[in-house]
Amino acid sequence: MNGFAILLQIILRSLETGGIYALASLGIIIIFRTSRISHFAQGAMGMFNTYVAAVLVDRMGLPLGIGVIVAVCLAVFIGFLVDFLVIRRAKNAIPVTKQILTLGLVTIFVGLAPMVCGVDPLSLPKFIPTGNISVAGASLSYNGLLNILIGIIIMLVLFYTLLKTKLGIAIRTTASNEPVARLMGVPTRNVTLFAWAVAAVLGCLAGIMQAPSTSVTTGVLDTVQINALIACVLGGFQTFYGPVIGSYIIALSSNLLNYYVSSVWGNQLVYLCILIFVVFRPQGIVGKKVVKKV
Amino acid sequence: MNNNTSLKSSSREKDNILLRIYRNPYFRYIIFGAILALIPIASGMNILPSSYITIMGSVMIYSIVGIGLNLLLGYSGLISLGTAGFMGLAAYVTGYLSVNVNAPFIVALAVSIFVVVLIGVIVGFVSLRVAGIYLAIATLCVSEILRKTFEELEWLTNGFSGLNASFPRLFGIQLNRKSTYFLIVVVLILVMMLTHNLVKGQMGRALHAMRESEVAAQAMGVNLLKYRLVVFAIATAYAAIGGALYIFFIRFSIPGTWTMALSLNILGAVVIGGLRSIYGTVIGCFVIFAIPDIVLKPLFGDVNGLQYVFSGLVVILVILFYPAGVKNMREDFFRLCRFLKKKINERKGKGEIQ
Amino acid sequence: MPKNNSEKYTMDESLSLKITDLSINFGGLKAVDGLSIDVKKNEIFGLIGPNGAGKTTAFNCITQFYHPDRGEVLFRTKQGNVVNLVGRNTHDIIKLGLVRTFQNVEVIKELSLLENVLLGAHIDFKATIFEQALCLPRARREERELREKAAEGLRFMGIEALKDAKAGGQPYGVLKKVETARTLMCEPSLIILDEPAAGLNDSETAELTEIIRNIRDAYDCTILLVEHDMHLVMNVCERICAISFGEFLACGTPEEIQANALVQEAYLGEKEFKGGE
Repeated sequence: MNGFAILLQIILRSLETGGIYALASLGIIIIFRTSRISHFAQGAMGMFNTYVAAVLVDRMGLPLGIGVIVAVCLAVFIGFLVDFLVIRRAKNAIPVTKQILTLGLVTIFVGLAPMVCGVDPLSLPKFIPTGNISVAGASLSYNGLLNILIGIIIMLVLFYTLLKTKLGIAIRTTASNEPVARLMGVPTRNVTLFAWAVAAVLGCLAGIMQAPSTSVTTGVLDTVQINALIACVLGGFQTFYGPVIGSYIIALSSNLLNYYVSSVWGNQLVYLCILIFVVFRPQGIVGKKVVKKV
Repeated sequence: MNNNTSLKSSSREKDNILLRIYRNPYFRYIIFGAILALIPIASGMNILPSSYITIMGSVMIYSIVGIGLNLLLGYSGLISLGTAGFMGLAAYVTGYLSVNVNAPFIVALAVSIFVVVLIGVIVGFVSLRVAGIYLAIATLCVSEILRKTFEELEWLTNGFSGLNASFPRLFGIQLNRKSTYFLIVVVLILVMMLTHNLVKGQMGRALHAMRESEVAAQAMGVNLLKYRLVVFAIATAYAAIGGALYIFFIRFSIPGTWTMALSLNILGAVVIGGLRSIYGTVIGCFVIFAIPDIVLKPLFGDVNGLQYVFSGLVVILVILFYPAGVKNMREDFFRLCRFLKKKINERKGKGEIQ
Repeated sequence: MPKNNSEKYTMDESLSLKITDLSINFGGLKAVDGLSIDVKKNEIFGLIGPNGAGKTTAFNCITQFYHPDRGEVLFRTKQGNVVNLVGRNTHDIIKLGLVRTFQNVEVIKELSLLENVLLGAHIDFKATIFEQALCLPRARREERELREKAAEGLRFMGIEALKDAKAGGQPYGVLKKVETARTLMCEPSLIILDEPAAGLNDSETAELTEIIRNIRDAYDCTILLVEHDMHLVMNVCERICAISFGEFLACGTPEEIQANALVQEAYLGEKEFKGGE
């Protein structure tokens, strides 16, 4: 392969991983905007649903489609449950400890997965097991192409919902000012309930797309979770599209660094760069600076 | 008569001295340490199984780390997710120095604290300028970087096969498991006392001010960045002490120990114990790190992931329903007693009327 | 950023604070626009204006909670030199001898009243963090001496009996006094009071008038205050500056201000402007 083909290959690969990060980070940002909570459990919840899908497919031999459908339904249910049982009751919790709630959720799901599904490593097949297309010397598997497309379609649907529908307006008003939205008759409770379900589904899909490239363990979404959070920092917490941009930038830059600089330390270098970037632009790429009132 | 009053006053003075000793916080810390030191003695007398020494030793190590984290979380409201990373780094540096360089205990400890605090201060200096949740995410990045380092930097960490160490030599005496346990008790009590002094003095007031009113703190001359950095440095220093004691006590370290789960568990212990409570943190660590081993395991057997589910549940329940944490238990207990007494009296009163 | 702190500034000997052309805007809204005020030494100076006139914003610009877009704030420090406050760090202002209170009392609920006042002596502690952690003699001595001084401050405000009570749960009037006592700890040369009478009842306000005068006399300092209670302002202030929509209206004695047509116009419809009868 020549240099250009390699570069193209890296870009295509980044579109795939970036899409996964973007799905996860969208979940995080929706939760942050509607519930004012940094959602550290996005990866853990997605991991749990992926685990369940893997048990259905790998151990019980069900078709992948059914596994995915069950996992997505379960994700919706878990999302509802988390909001209903935990988040909703934390309205009066001390702000500092409220942020720790999702960290508690992480521990629960990390423990629950092996408890329910056992400790043997599982695997999840690809949607399209074989086949490549080649573009200008770079090759991309059909499954990769499918992942890219699924990611983009979901994002388009989500942004259409946010921008053009009544539900989207409800979400955005809740995001910008929850008490006022509630007074104006927006059913903010249902909005947060919906947001948690959406976030859980996004996490679940990210897990199912990520799983075939590794085995399904409790750590399957660890990198995705970290990269998605950092994508939110990079893109800024104030818009819904910022984290998506951040996700693709992180995926691309870590793939580039992994190939051209160091295959071991590539990701770590990206983290370091972003840490430094945030010092100079704390509000992220597309955020606005907020003046604190005295 | 005159004689009588002087006798009375002298006995009152005596009471006062006893009362004053009892009220003296340092005295209480020492008593607390003495109670902790009873455990190996009890296990020597076959009252407790000897595994309790390891369990309680670990609880105390995590308590030291937790107290530092509690300063950070309780006073500055900042969440650090790099605790495990910093602990691990200290453990590896100490282990490397004492095994490969044959450095004495104190030197190894000092060097590892220095290295870890240096890294902590750099991270803090970069991320504390940005308010809010950024420290959590920055420390998350750092712990990721450190985790990778533990796996890849084999000359220091021995990679996945793990680093072996031995009990420390202190002033030329080779310690064993029990004496290392006593060493940990001493360090824990010292850390508790130092922390007590810090939070009761000028720095404590500045931190309180920062937490409740940043503007008042600034107007009174408190440099917010400086104090956040100091608190973060203290938290990392305590994490380093904990990590160093860990490698000397457990004598084995693999990268898998220093994961996010450990950071979360210590954070959970802090929340359970109650923010800004020194004793509470120790109790929280006991709940998170000892209860699964000494209560849940005998009760439910070796269920996968039970420990995680338990600690996660406890953390969430405490945040939702008992936000002040264990530190409020004593007060609430007295309140309950008073309430019950009142109820009983009321009932008695009714009975008499009838 | 401190750009010209090494520069020598001069200002009339009789002045404590000289504000020139102070301006700040928030997203196009001119909160303070070209404000210039001279405050004389040992004077009780009032800043008044209708709601939203930019009084508190002006104070925040002086104390560097906001960094003004334009203008100079010259200040005579307690050491006697003249400095420009603009561009300095917020937490460095108190070291120069300028200290403030807040509109909504900012006391620390979990600390006792005495400890709250001690917070005002934060900059007087010289012991390092290590000395504090180990309770070395210097840290202990400083703590003891400053505790004594803080108790004195509470005595001055007449609330020494409450010194060990937690600030949380104390009545508003007491908290206001604590906040004022806190400002006295640093031996200030200028105290800025942001609505000291807000939330106080009539008798407390009357007491406040006395307290403000006593502070000025006992501590030999200048007092600058923003206040809505016209009665208090007209009673206690020796000179008053009125602003409206961030712009200077008039400056003079209470009588002159009350007679000023511009000021009356700005306040038209606001009933409270009838103080000082």
